[in-house]
Amino acid sequence: MEKKTIDVSDGAAIPRKKDAGLFSAWRISFAGALIILLCLVVFEPDPYLKILKFLPDGILITFEVTIFAIIFAVLLGLLTGLGRISKNPFINAVASTYVEVVRGIPLLVQLFYIYYALGRFVRLPDMVAAIIAMSLCYGAYMGEVFRAGIESIDKGQMEAARSLGFNRTQTMFYVILPQAWRTILPPVGNEFIALLKDTSLVSILAVADMLRRGREFASETFTYFETYTVIALVYLLITLLLSKMVSILEEKLNYYDQS
Amino acid sequence: MMKRCVWVVLAAILLATPAWARTLVVAQDATWPPMEFMNEQKEIIGFDTDYVRAVAKEAGFDVVFKNVAWDGIFAGLDAGQYDAVCSSVTITDERKKAMDFGIPYFKVRQALVVSKDSTVKTLEELKGKTVGGQIGTTGYFAIKKTEGITAKSYDEIGLAMEDLFSGRIDGVVCDDPTAAQYALQKADYAARLKIAAVLDTGDEYYGIAVKKGNKEVLDLINKGIEAVQAKGIDKELRAKWIGQ
Amino acid sequence: MTSPEPIITIENVNKYFGQLKALSEVSLQVRPGEKVVIIGPSGSGKSTLLRTINRLEEIDSGRIIVDGLDVMDDKNDINRIRMEVGMVFQRFNLFPHKTVLGNLTLAPMKLRKIERAAAEANGRRLLQKVGIEEKAAVYPARLSGGQQQRVAIARALAMNPKIMLFDEPTSALDPEMIGEVLDVMVNLAREGMTMVVVTHEMGFAREVADMVVFMDQGQILETGPPEHFFQDCRHPRARKFLSQIL
Ligand SMILES: Nc1ncnc2c1ncn2[C@@H]1O[C@H](COP(=O)(O)OP(=O)(O)O)[C@@H](O)[C@H]1O
Ligand SMILES: [Mg+2]
Repeated sequence: MEKKTIDVSDGAAIPRKKDAGLFSAWRISFAGALIILLCLVVFEPDPYLKILKFLPDGILITFEVTIFAIIFAVLLGLLTGLGRISKNPFINAVASTYVEVVRGIPLLVQLFYIYYALGRFVRLPDMVAAIIAMSLCYGAYMGEVFRAGIESIDKGQMEAARSLGFNRTQTMFYVILPQAWRTILPPVGNEFIALLKDTSLVSILAVADMLRRGREFASETFTYFETYTVIALVYLLITLLLSKMVSILEEKLNYYDQS
Repeated sequence: MMKRCVWVVLAAILLATPAWARTLVVAQDATWPPMEFMNEQKEIIGFDTDYVRAVAKEAGFDVVFKNVAWDGIFAGLDAGQYDAVCSSVTITDERKKAMDFGIPYFKVRQALVVSKDSTVKTLEELKGKTVGGQIGTTGYFAIKKTEGITAKSYDEIGLAMEDLFSGRIDGVVCDDPTAAQYALQKADYAARLKIAAVLDTGDEYYGIAVKKGNKEVLDLINKGIEAVQAKGIDKELRAKWIGQ
Repeated sequence: MTSPEPIITIENVNKYFGQLKALSEVSLQVRPGEKVVIIGPSGSGKSTLLRTINRLEEIDSGRIIVDGLDVMDDKNDINRIRMEVGMVFQRFNLFPHKTVLGNLTLAPMKLRKIERAAAEANGRRLLQKVGIEEKAAVYPARLSGGQQQRVAIARALAMNPKIMLFDEPTSALDPEMIGEVLDVMVNLAREGMTMVVVTHEMGFAREVADMVVFMDQGQILETGPPEHFFQDCRHPRARKFLSQIL
């Protein structure tokens, strides 16, 4: 069976080996963003340093939402991916319907829906609503990645494991998934990065993330250009760091490749 | 033949509109009843909207309204996307540095809205609790200034009221006409919310904001405001939109 | 050498792939310690038959009893039956994410609940037996085809099965590697393992087979000891097939 390729979504470019070197896009962007930010803060502390000092608790919230949403979205994605290839028609239908519904509704609408619309029935705290909405949305996307990753593993692997006496679940966890991770990680890494960027949408729920902190600062001081410059640079730096981490992780997972 | 037609049409247009008439674009964030909000026909209505129309009539200019989200409304003014902002803008020292204001036209105070069963009488009593306001408003600044309260900023005051309604926050601070609108007028909110206090942050005055240094528009607007105030039109509008 | 009770009994098995009849009224008995070689042209149903023995393929009718248990009966845990039936595939199917030794210890540790130390000791013993103990810590991608197939045999043996199934174990190998794999299989046969082998290696059949089965178009056309097959087989299609591969 030939390897299937997996669609890459709108994350950020994850640096590949071939891009390495002093003038890789990653290095240029990272160094550039860092230098610009430092220069602004050093040479123009008012307002840039003030802005930067105003952001930390917002950055923390952004990280919190990102990390929790990634954890739950991966778990949900795994379940969904397994559900989508399940032989049980009920489980299969549930997983497929979930993917269809979630993929058909914009994240922003999902955020509003879970927080404000359902807020009349279940009063979720803003962070919880934000994390649930992000996880639900990205769980569906990741479910598709997991499914494709699992299906990309040679059928012979399943047969070899089954012939030894592993049941389907054991085969999945001991044989298929450890291999599928390699195929899954690059697109999942892209989802991580897209998710991080999309957490900026939670500011709509009045969650005090980095973007909202910036907006509060700007609307009080009218330093729109300065504030959004800092916000953009900080997002860029975080995103680049995350994509670097993903590419290092990818390297690690390639340990058993042909020499 | 064709050419003559064009000339005739042009002449007609020139004759129909007084030579000095110009059109000002005025931005409003239509989420602030009863001052400016959307009706079911998707038109912006409210005290401010009528007020600007009266000013325009007196000063002899045409006006077009533009609905703009609050937290970008002054950036747009600065970028020249519209000529003025008339959207319950409190005149503050901070804002005066960034833009010019016309003659003050409306007096408000900040009001604290809480749930009906709350016994709170001042903002200070909400220490340790979360209080919401619209981002970039004097109401929100008042919350942030109060020690020990978690300030939560919303894009629209209606979303803050909704969170107060569903019990996720403990109070909302906004201009008193708007507070009254939610706590007294809107049926479902009024059943659950009340105005607990008018804050002692003092009187505030609304002003029409223009881009810093835009004297031409400012003079035009001030001329209109003076006429409106002299004729008592503002009192009529107050009776129409606010009551008492 | 033969005991009266067969360890594999296949009775009147029929199997369809959609319209295609892959197995037609197939019956076969294998006694403990017996070596059965299945030959036949490509597409004749050899793999399908082999795979029904450990239920990698379902059947439409008939009965398959392995070690006293009905393979198709859902009351019998098919995974327990499979633990007693080792299988070697044409394309090796080693687990690429595990080292050679890891391939050998995974199933014994997880399924037979054997301690790691014991599983590894047994794994090394088996690697020695198939002649590649020095590759224990290497990942399969670094091995030649012949080495991979010997690891695959060792992996199956690590579960200590009662029966070994081979589906064209040398067909995917370069000619110079076929010998090393056949040697391992011959040794295994000498130790008395019950083996069902699909292969075109007639030398192997002649050397170890107790019985050769000729299949064509989903049917068993002729069964007999190797001497019979190579000297006086009756069926014209079998004779034609043999003339092509010998
Ligand atoms: N999974 C399958 N789906 C459909 N047809 C199959 C499948 N597996 C095998 N067949 C068909 O069944 C027949 C027997 O196949 P197989 O047992 O693999 O033959 P052999 O191993 O003797 O070459 C062939 O015609 C093959 O195309
Ligand atoms: Mg075959």
